[in-house]
Amino acid sequence: MTEEIPGGYAGRILRVDLSSGRTWEQAWTPEDMRLYVGGAGLGAKILWDEVPADVAWDHPENRLILATGPLAGLPVWGTGGLSVVTRGALTNGGASTQANGFFGACLKYSGYDAIVTQGQSDGWTYLYIQEGVAELRDAAWLVGKDTWQTQDALQVGLGFSGHQMSVYSIGPAGENLVRFAAIAGDYGHVASKNGCGAVMGKKRLKAVAIVRGAKAIRAADPRGLFQAADEIAHDLKTNPTTKSLYEYGTLNGVLNLHRIGALPIKNFTTNVVPDGTDMAAWEAPSLRQGFDHRGHQCNACGMHHCHMQVIPTGPHRGTMVDEPEYEGWAGAGWAIGCTDPVAISWLNTQVDRACVDVNEFGWLVGWVMECQEKGYLTREQLGGLEVRWGDAEATAVLLEMIVHRRGFGNVLAEGVKRAAESVGEPAAACAIYTGKGASPRGHDHRARWEEMLDTITSSTGTLQTGPPVHPTEFGMPARINPFDPDAVARNVGGHLGRRHFEDSLGACIFTTRSLLETMCRAVNAATGWDYTKEEAVQQGRRTAALFRAFDLRCGIGPTLERPSVRYGSTPVDGPAKGRSVEAHLERMLDVWYETVGYDRKTGRPRADTLQALKLEFLIPALWGA
Amino acid sequence: MHEVSATRSAPALDAARVTVEVVAWVTRFVGGDGTRRRLFDEAVAPGATVRSVLARLSERYVTLREVLWVRDTGDLSEHIEVLVNDAVLGLTHTLDSAVRDGDRITLIGQYTGGMTK
Repeated sequence: MTEEIPGGYAGRILRVDLSSGRTWEQAWTPEDMRLYVGGAGLGAKILWDEVPADVAWDHPENRLILATGPLAGLPVWGTGGLSVVTRGALTNGGASTQANGFFGACLKYSGYDAIVTQGQSDGWTYLYIQEGVAELRDAAWLVGKDTWQTQDALQVGLGFSGHQMSVYSIGPAGENLVRFAAIAGDYGHVASKNGCGAVMGKKRLKAVAIVRGAKAIRAADPRGLFQAADEIAHDLKTNPTTKSLYEYGTLNGVLNLHRIGALPIKNFTTNVVPDGTDMAAWEAPSLRQGFDHRGHQCNACGMHHCHMQVIPTGPHRGTMVDEPEYEGWAGAGWAIGCTDPVAISWLNTQVDRACVDVNEFGWLVGWVMECQEKGYLTREQLGGLEVRWGDAEATAVLLEMIVHRRGFGNVLAEGVKRAAESVGEPAAACAIYTGKGASPRGHDHRARWEEMLDTITSSTGTLQTGPPVHPTEFGMPARINPFDPDAVARNVGGHLGRRHFEDSLGACIFTTRSLLETMCRAVNAATGWDYTKEEAVQQGRRTAALFRAFDLRCGIGPTLERPSVRYGSTPVDGPAKGRSVEAHLERMLDVWYETVGYDRKTGRPRADTLQALKLEFLIPALWGA
Repeated sequence: MHEVSATRSAPALDAARVTVEVVAWVTRFVGGDGTRRRLFDEAVAPGATVRSVLARLSERYVTLREVLWVRDTGDLSEHIEVLVNDAVLGLTHTLDSAVRDGDRITLIGQYTGGMTK
């Protein structure tokens, strides 16, 4: 007798072989749903099962997994979520990166929990899905278009508008295999990390277009689901921390991070804002009111987070753009010395449209600017281009060079780490990257040691724990001394799991910032399970261990868990002046490894850890029979 | 940054004075609109600590009291970052460190993350 599929699930995975052009459906079991949930968790399991060590990021047999989870398409805020999981181009190891909008909901309404692509198409193609129809179509006519143009063209070509169809695509960067190319969709949502767009480009898959289907998603307890959804929404609107997210998204970030020395300014060369900078312009209401704007909410979302806005002045006046997230203001702005909100807002959307990761882009351009200023890179090397601090127009020219791999842009398209290694010293010492090759997020982690430790130890191409959410729910301290190595490491290790669980639900991490117990109530009402917050963390840690095992199998281990020279340097000014993370790194790693139950020397999750996470099948693979 | 309403607490001759700076979003909890900053010029008695200064301000603003403190334990909650003379609490001062004339205690919003990507 077939086991009943839990509520909230479509129960099927769409498989696509781009080499043969074949598509088929694959069922997955209720047992696996409970263990891996969806999104990042499901993706991690498929990656482990199907991508062996000799299948590198650009090998046809690499998998590109687009997965959602049990909350997608249900009436919980922000539930159009998508996790992209693959072997990424920057680290050549695991990648887990999330985006929102409507994709996850449309996928579920079309009858699928995930799409797994493999193989490599002979010519450019796009995947079209409409309730039971999944076919690969010619995409030659889309080549060269940026991600917004691609969505426009598919909407016109297929006759769908607005939220009738979700489109996620690559821009010129992905087509040209830029190692930090991203996948973007629904005008402003980006799965940006670890070169997932390059993987999609290598497969010659230009886009995935899903018509919003009409397949019902059953919730096991509809009334309970509404109650939990209401409680989550109430939390987001009233909790003192999330209330600012509810009203202004991440716009408060610049002002807050600047006060603690974590705003990255001019490629980490300073933490002091330039004289005369009007920081009042960087308050969230000022940033939003500085533009004509309107809400651009994701599926079922009541947050006032995502917005579209219109450039009010300057050479691009009248252009519609996506309101930058904090990391857009940082990567397309402060990191490259640009403090003009109008210029940053415009540049940020150009980055999304060409479709590269704005974090890596910021570190890369900041590095070029510093090196050019110091004479480490010449104008001739850049084909006559001079890129001075804060020059958004010149930066846009550089963006074009990178995404089309023109001239020195071909070197830069390899990402910060490889470009720095290619150019050599003294330029290399100015570059910000991790030993694994991943991009740090858009903060100055020299004042946020938690995120530096999280970033260098992660196996997903980006941080995997993130800032604590309701830490006291698990008996963790409400706050720590951010420069206490032991406290930092215990915090990062102790919180491992929550983020991966959130990334498995098909929801946005900003709308899951309720108590984990409340999130579990929503999951249980959807599925009929009896998930506890402890089981949720265990699922997240299971996901983390799978990514870790995958990276180890790819040859990515503890020796690479280092910041670059500049990334790990000591701030010369600002609130974190003189704080040396390097001096405490070994101690932090020791404590972190102990806290998460991994072996310090080999980097492997210990056998008892794997057993506790119900990952016994990894024990022989990691530790031998 | 613009400043709003420098509020003085009860004057005392020769008393040491500490400034409490409430920044942008957090002004919501002291009667502001979430923009700019509010400065509170607090007279403090000998032996005053970071805790006692914040506790006294919290008595005047119930909303701040609700979000700044854990009611049952008297510890600081997770919602607001506290700096003393631009250093995050824990570096140069703890909650029970004595304050000195001219010190500045700053309340800013807690870090919540930068994007979903």
